[in-house]
Amino acid sequence: MATASQHRIKKRVLKTAHFIGLFLAMALICVPGLWVVLNSFRPTIEIMAKPPVWIPQDLNLDHYRAMFGGAGEGGVPVLTYFRNSLIVSITSTVIALLVGMAGGYAFARYNFKAKGVLFVALMASRAVPGVALSLPLFIIFARTGIIDTHFGLILVYVAMNVPFTIWLIDGFFRQVPKELAEAAEIDGCTRWQAFWRVEFPVARAGIASAGIFAFLTSWNEYALASQLTRSTTSKTMPVGLLDFTSQFTLNWGGMCALAVLMIIPALVLTFLVQKHLIAGLTFGGVKG
Amino acid sequence: MSTRKFPPWLLLLLPAFIIILAVVAIPLIFSLYSSFTPYHLTRPETLWKWTGSFNYIKAATDVNFWKAFGRTVLLLTVALNLEMLLGLGLALMVSKVTHGQRALRTAMMFPMMFSPILVGFQFKFIFNDNVGLVNNALQSLGLTDVAIPWLVDANLAMFAIIFAEVWTSTSVFAILILAGLFALPQDPLEAAKVDGCTPWQSFRFVTLPFLMPFIYIAMAIRSLDVARAYDIVQVMTNGGPARRTELLWTLIGRTGYVDARMGYANAMGYIAILMSIGFTVYFFLKLQSARRELGMGG
Amino acid sequence: MKGRVASSVLALAAGLGFATAALADGEFAGVTIEAKLIGGQQYEALYARIADWEKATGAKVNIISQKNHFELDKEYKADIAAGTTNWCVGSNHSSFAPQYPALFTDLTALIPAESIAGFVPANITAATIDGKLTMLPRAQFDVSALYYQKSLYTDPAKAEAFKAKFGYDLAVPETWDQFRDQAMFFAAPPNMYGTQYAGKDEAINGRFYELVVANGGKMFNDDFTPAFNSPAGKEALQWFVDLYKAGAVPPGTTNYLWDDLGNGFASGTIALNLDWPGWSGFFNDPAASKVSGNVGVAPAPKGSAGVRTGWSGFHGFSVTEGCATKEAAASLVDFLTNEDSQKLESAAGPLPSRTAVWEYVLEQAKGDAYKSEVLAAFQETAKTAFPVPPTPYWIEAGNLIFPELQAAILGDKTVDQALEDASAAVDDLMKENGVY
Repeated sequence: MATASQHRIKKRVLKTAHFIGLFLAMALICVPGLWVVLNSFRPTIEIMAKPPVWIPQDLNLDHYRAMFGGAGEGGVPVLTYFRNSLIVSITSTVIALLVGMAGGYAFARYNFKAKGVLFVALMASRAVPGVALSLPLFIIFARTGIIDTHFGLILVYVAMNVPFTIWLIDGFFRQVPKELAEAAEIDGCTRWQAFWRVEFPVARAGIASAGIFAFLTSWNEYALASQLTRSTTSKTMPVGLLDFTSQFTLNWGGMCALAVLMIIPALVLTFLVQKHLIAGLTFGGVKG
Repeated sequence: MSTRKFPPWLLLLLPAFIIILAVVAIPLIFSLYSSFTPYHLTRPETLWKWTGSFNYIKAATDVNFWKAFGRTVLLLTVALNLEMLLGLGLALMVSKVTHGQRALRTAMMFPMMFSPILVGFQFKFIFNDNVGLVNNALQSLGLTDVAIPWLVDANLAMFAIIFAEVWTSTSVFAILILAGLFALPQDPLEAAKVDGCTPWQSFRFVTLPFLMPFIYIAMAIRSLDVARAYDIVQVMTNGGPARRTELLWTLIGRTGYVDARMGYANAMGYIAILMSIGFTVYFFLKLQSARRELGMGG
Repeated sequence: MKGRVASSVLALAAGLGFATAALADGEFAGVTIEAKLIGGQQYEALYARIADWEKATGAKVNIISQKNHFELDKEYKADIAAGTTNWCVGSNHSSFAPQYPALFTDLTALIPAESIAGFVPANITAATIDGKLTMLPRAQFDVSALYYQKSLYTDPAKAEAFKAKFGYDLAVPETWDQFRDQAMFFAAPPNMYGTQYAGKDEAINGRFYELVVANGGKMFNDDFTPAFNSPAGKEALQWFVDLYKAGAVPPGTTNYLWDDLGNGFASGTIALNLDWPGWSGFFNDPAASKVSGNVGVAPAPKGSAGVRTGWSGFHGFSVTEGCATKEAAASLVDFLTNEDSQKLESAAGPLPSRTAVWEYVLEQAKGDAYKSEVLAAFQETAKTAFPVPPTPYWIEAGNLIFPELQAAILGDKTVDQALEDASAAVDDLMKENGVY
């Protein structure tokens, strides 16, 4: 009996510890982020107050109103930036997935010389810091006239995302037994049809998870975008954040308002696909 | 038919290789060439002057460069390991939750929605010594009555940067490890229980080995992405004060663009690239051996 | 306004020996001017006027880049490297301009002399590099004056305590030594600091530079050998060190940039603040600042040589050497910096760079005590203001100097050691670039 109640106490302690630990961890994760969201609704005087104002006295939409206002009233072409971000991120994600599927399929289904080296070389290309690329890219883009275009940025993001996409998708295709695809081919399907009917459905979760990583990378990228975009024709939202800075001032409240507009779509998308994300990652890279 | 000349695998890989060639390889060749010249951005003619290994020798004999190099390796090592441990802990806690896990998982990924440049500004304000969130909280709670110079003190500044970096990236580890936990086969765990293993033993000898490949994947992905920390550091401290938080990336970025000495910056950049590739290859080898141990092939 | 454009176009045409064709409106019909203009809320109100210029001349302006200052600087350098410099009009800044000697063309021949004569002469001098007038200043002239909390000087208890301690009357400081005494006196951390300074990047460098000059020294000799490792330089650096050591500045001050300063003073925790004119409205705005209604403004204090600090800079517009339609581009630059443009821009607070607009702004401010005080203080400071040393290596040298200054402030190095190291590094830089 004593052991049973001891056991129960131990269990309860563990449960409480688990709850407290989880609560603290979630607080650490969410508070710095929610603080940004909160600041977007607070007047600057309250954000910067000393002594601090802990309970918000004055929540309003002023920063948002100013942001959507005209030039000179604190307006920033948010909608244009939003559109640019959306076009660039979605297109580059889709292309990266297509290219990644082709590449992943090649690595999973064919044997060829130097496969391992090629694979690592592909991955290593992602490890090159943007600082080393930005100037040569600028020169090439400026000379070929694709600077400050959606196309240029999309090209760069595809290259950034392809290695990881190939890697994840490769793992999925390997899960599908080769015999299954071959059987389909014997049944009269072309290789192409066999791919879409047999192999693609299995890899769908992996593609979804590769997609979300690619999307978030493109959506949030700043260093290269700040070099390769110039005007409202292609500036994305992370670059747009810098519109709230001038030589001497920084409008932190306004920046937070734009940040919230950046976070919401990413958050919604993640919430929608995160089930696939987990499933995708589960089988993806490991069994490669 | 072109397929006769090209094997199908090459055809399938061609788009990937063309894009990477155009966006990564060609620029890298240019960078490599310019690292042997005194290339100065505002004087384009300097690109045609060959100075051999001058820039490399200059970098290799510069104390500040090696200090930045050491600090970068330190940051990578500490940040990656911390992220891994915290991510593991977080994933274990989240996996035990039965209700509302979907919302919890989304919340867990919250920091991934933040652009690194935004994270830089965010933590610059959070760690501001005068009106920042952290000092305000500490002072209001009566824990301290001095303003702690988070972004200035030699140790605290690195801590603040690592904190920001860990905050953004722990999610990546947590989500990948969580995926591993979901895939964890239940049989060996049951068997371990029957054999009388303590929870710690079954974690140490059953769960952890199974998770290792996931951990190495996360490490490899993160080591590919760490240069993103440049945005964060650049906004938070820009390597200062007094070079206390100078990293390779801030040093290279400033030399290349502000000083316009691109040749010298590229020479330093090449040393940095070798380091990044070293990290990545290391984790790949680890990943492969972990896979082999689990009998997953490679 | 249209008349003004027409007359300047006329003058321009006459200056170039053009015939009567230039008289008509729509002179530049069919021309498209590609422009790279500084972005950011403070700067963009002016661009609304571009439509008027387009209407008057028939030309079209295509803004191909709109970035903040530091990003624009990077872009210009990358443009020079890529050889893509055939766009026409670009925003420029006096502190950055010496870096790109070949990018921008000499405006002297393109702008009517009477238009140039309307600018504050010192600004035109500063905009002239190697004998070339590289830009026309817009109404964004910057020099720092002293902001302070007025209530600190009306408290008899404070005045008495100060006199007892320092032996002279407490009054708004006129020298940097008095400033230091008072900053130490007012400090009561962590909720009140005597002052603060921008200790990061080029900011600390600029502050050091102006104090060196105010103490009778200089940054470079005439042949651009470093000259700041001098008694005046040491005295200047010691000033920063003293304030930091005494805890009179926030401990994070070496990581502050201008925005931190502005927010700090507005939070009411800083007694004395040397800062830019752009903040004057913000500081006195009850919705943004806790010290609104309590802000005093005085000219910048003087150094030990009796010289006021006055590190100054201004924004302007330049025309590239590679521009195919320089006349049209120059006409746009002239338009964006003419009296009407400057009146519009300075209405929001920034300081003008035209003599007539200074008078206009002072006239307008009559009846507004705060604004008059601001303008008087900045006008006085502007009289003796000076730009950065005219060398293309100013920014590079600064990147070598500022970490050493920070090291001295934080106590990693002694003042002597820091200046010696900085001086040696700058010397190497100059030699490597063949300056001497």
